[in-house]
Amino acid sequence: MNLITTPPPVTPPGPWKFPESTATTTSAGTPVHIFDRPGQYVATVRVTIAMPLFVEPRELEGVATIMSRTLDEGTELHSANDFAAALERHGAAYGVDVSSDALHVEISVPVSHLAPAVKLLAEAVTRPAFNVADVGRHVTIRLGEINQEKANAGYRAREAFAAHLFDTSARRSRPTAGTPDTIRPLTNVQVAEFYRSNVGPARAQILFAGDATGVDVAAIVDDAFGDWRAEVAPVLEAPEPLYLPGNRLVLVDRPGSVQSQLVIGCAGPDRRSAAWGPAAVANHVVGGTITSRVDTVLREEKGYTYGTRSSFSAPRKGGTFTLGGAVRTEVTGAAIGDALRILREARDGLTEQEVQEAKDSLTLTAPLRYEQADSIIQQVGSNIANGVPINFADTYMQRIAATTAEQATAAYREFVGTEGLLVVVVGEAKDVRPQLTEFGLGDLIELT
Amino acid sequence: MPLNYPLAEQTLDNGLRVVVSSDRAVPIVAVNLWYDVGSRHEPPGLTGFAHLFEHLMFQGSRNVESGAHFSLLETVGASLNASTFFDRTNYFESLPSGGLDLALWLEADRMGYLLDALTQENLDNQRDVVKEEKRQSYDNRPYGDSYERLVRLLFPENHPYAHMTIGSMADLDAASLEDVHAFFRKYYGPNNAVLTIVGDVSVEDAFDAAKRYFGHLEAIPTPPPAPDGTIGPLTEVLRDDVQEDVPSDLITMMFRLPPDGTPELDAAGLALDVLAAGQSGRLNRRLVRDEQIAQSVSGGALPLIGGVSFGTLTGIASEGVDLQQVEDALVEEIEKLAEGGITADELATVQAQAERDWLEALSTVAGRADEISHHALLFGDPNRINTRIDQVRAVTAEQVQSAAREWIRAAGRAQVTYRRTEEEA
Repeated sequence: MNLITTPPPVTPPGPWKFPESTATTTSAGTPVHIFDRPGQYVATVRVTIAMPLFVEPRELEGVATIMSRTLDEGTELHSANDFAAALERHGAAYGVDVSSDALHVEISVPVSHLAPAVKLLAEAVTRPAFNVADVGRHVTIRLGEINQEKANAGYRAREAFAAHLFDTSARRSRPTAGTPDTIRPLTNVQVAEFYRSNVGPARAQILFAGDATGVDVAAIVDDAFGDWRAEVAPVLEAPEPLYLPGNRLVLVDRPGSVQSQLVIGCAGPDRRSAAWGPAAVANHVVGGTITSRVDTVLREEKGYTYGTRSSFSAPRKGGTFTLGGAVRTEVTGAAIGDALRILREARDGLTEQEVQEAKDSLTLTAPLRYEQADSIIQQVGSNIANGVPINFADTYMQRIAATTAEQATAAYREFVGTEGLLVVVVGEAKDVRPQLTEFGLGDLIELT
Repeated sequence: MPLNYPLAEQTLDNGLRVVVSSDRAVPIVAVNLWYDVGSRHEPPGLTGFAHLFEHLMFQGSRNVESGAHFSLLETVGASLNASTFFDRTNYFESLPSGGLDLALWLEADRMGYLLDALTQENLDNQRDVVKEEKRQSYDNRPYGDSYERLVRLLFPENHPYAHMTIGSMADLDAASLEDVHAFFRKYYGPNNAVLTIVGDVSVEDAFDAAKRYFGHLEAIPTPPPAPDGTIGPLTEVLRDDVQEDVPSDLITMMFRLPPDGTPELDAAGLALDVLAAGQSGRLNRRLVRDEQIAQSVSGGALPLIGGVSFGTLTGIASEGVDLQQVEDALVEEIEKLAEGGITADELATVQAQAERDWLEALSTVAGRADEISHHALLFGDPNRINTRIDQVRAVTAEQVQSAAREWIRAAGRAQVTYRRTEEEA
């Protein structure tokens, strides 16, 4: 048999579009988007509620998180234990997420058990009890979780990054789920009040993705959510967050560390920006994959790290660019030096070939990304939270496909390194400190 | 629910088992290879080798330059990776279906001709990367070494499951290029692997493509089987108590369990689920909700093929609560289940949860390809993916109790505790 010594040709795929949905509303006026995905026997049903985090009182930050975590911990109809037992008896898994702009409450459930599980989802969203004991327990659990976060190098680095990238006037400069001083005073009274002000049918959208063959999803959703009548105030538009410009170098001491956790970054575009698209292409070239400029040096040439990744990310407002990863303690300075050099050199231009390969990778992976019911819901929920159309993935892919090497470079130059770079290191300070003298990033800011 | 994913199977002349499951609903295809080599095959002194190959297999082969495996596949829209486990190593990609030939060509080139490109330089570099992986995943996080400590306690010295896949850094440091080449020649060949292709391709085209790219590879001498790890339940309590700078006190108990593929293992897994799975499990109910002595609990079975599996239960103590209280409560609940059994409702709940997990695992072409390779390689029967739910549904409450009584006992466990070091005044 002949040996084949060159890569076989690849037939390009046909055009791709984000999965289509049908839209309806509940009797209460809540929009419902139904993605019928044959073969997806496990459905995801999500309620996305517009809830900008900046409305949390400063002294009670984290109240949104505690509220979200106690929705299912006792309702008007079930105790916490009974609710969990009922939901799990249907094979359902339940979860909540609070982001800068929205509350998401969702279940995954075999389609065969859809109706009773959606009823229970509605019970958590619309009829929570917020009992004293259940809220108190979650305050305690959150305090324990903060201890775990403090011990986690990656978490510490992200927290210090947010605290030094954003001005303290920005909610995003502080942890989403609150800090001990803002969590400890929380009671069920404040949690219930925050719920009443922010959670109602006028702020919600309901999403379904799964195999809807022979299932009247609209009727099931309406049966569960149709009589939801809570009145809530209109959503307030979050202010633009203020960034702190300039080069800065922050060292967080984490005694006993055998690696240094790094985050290097700056402001980035948000999703309203025309750069949201070209910037993703540039990111892919610079640090988005194992074959990127950064990992080619830090991982494949030098073996400093198991791997780094960069990304542009944005909630509704206030985008960021970050490069993150963990490197060996002894080479921390060398790794930061290489990373800064590569990030800055990329401002001089990305090549046609690099940009073409990045565009191909980003656009051609789209059908993989949205194969699963749950991944469709993740994307649509995030689109709603970010104030873009539910099929924004189509626009985004078109922008990426149309990006030239000049545009990718320009989008990158607009942000990365323009107003300086913030470098955060979490590691063994006594070993790392002497390695941080050469970067010209200003005085070292040390945290413990 | 009954599943009916189509399956077709052929064995090439060189011994490569090929399984195809055509699904034209999505314009993508998944390629998945399971090699019958995992950490359980590694003899003393060569621990971490199976995992090291997970890295070296991306460093180029006879016709593929270093780094080109990733870049060629990424630019045609692939998602790709590899993983190593106790029982096996796997390599996989999914991509738009027009790239199937490219994926197969790349997999075949490294299966047949990796050693042409496996140089001292690649070895040195990837050994450094693996050390960073170990630091990141084990050494630089609280409780990161708990499984390493537990399997060392749970199994006798040199038992195939007594070490983790990441292996010993001393073994990796001591490895010569020739040791590494020899390991590859011993285990990497068509007759020691399963190739699965799932997605947008006809059965005929998929088999033709498999033959086109893999058909000329030569079989390797039949590799030695992994050492037999058959062993019964532990009959004593083995402890490893650690004082460290941890954020909260934590206990993990580990139990030997029956081997994968047996109704006894399914039953033991469901017993652990009744205790620890989800929000309605007994431990969450008692320790987290009612008594509030734990911040969280978790656990479950880890199925293994080599004569024994293991399972765990973990509790993180609430602030100010003595970890001993958590340990005592775990012991009580373990014994209560073994002596008193489970209710019909509890059984139905953990079976329903297992069903959802399974349906989710099969909900992508990549996930389905992985499970097909799994069941073809370890059990010789890919159709188990279609009958798996029925097997779990067939387990009775009596079987659950009987498995628990034999395998999940307070008097037969390995246990690691982490207690916070006292703060200095």
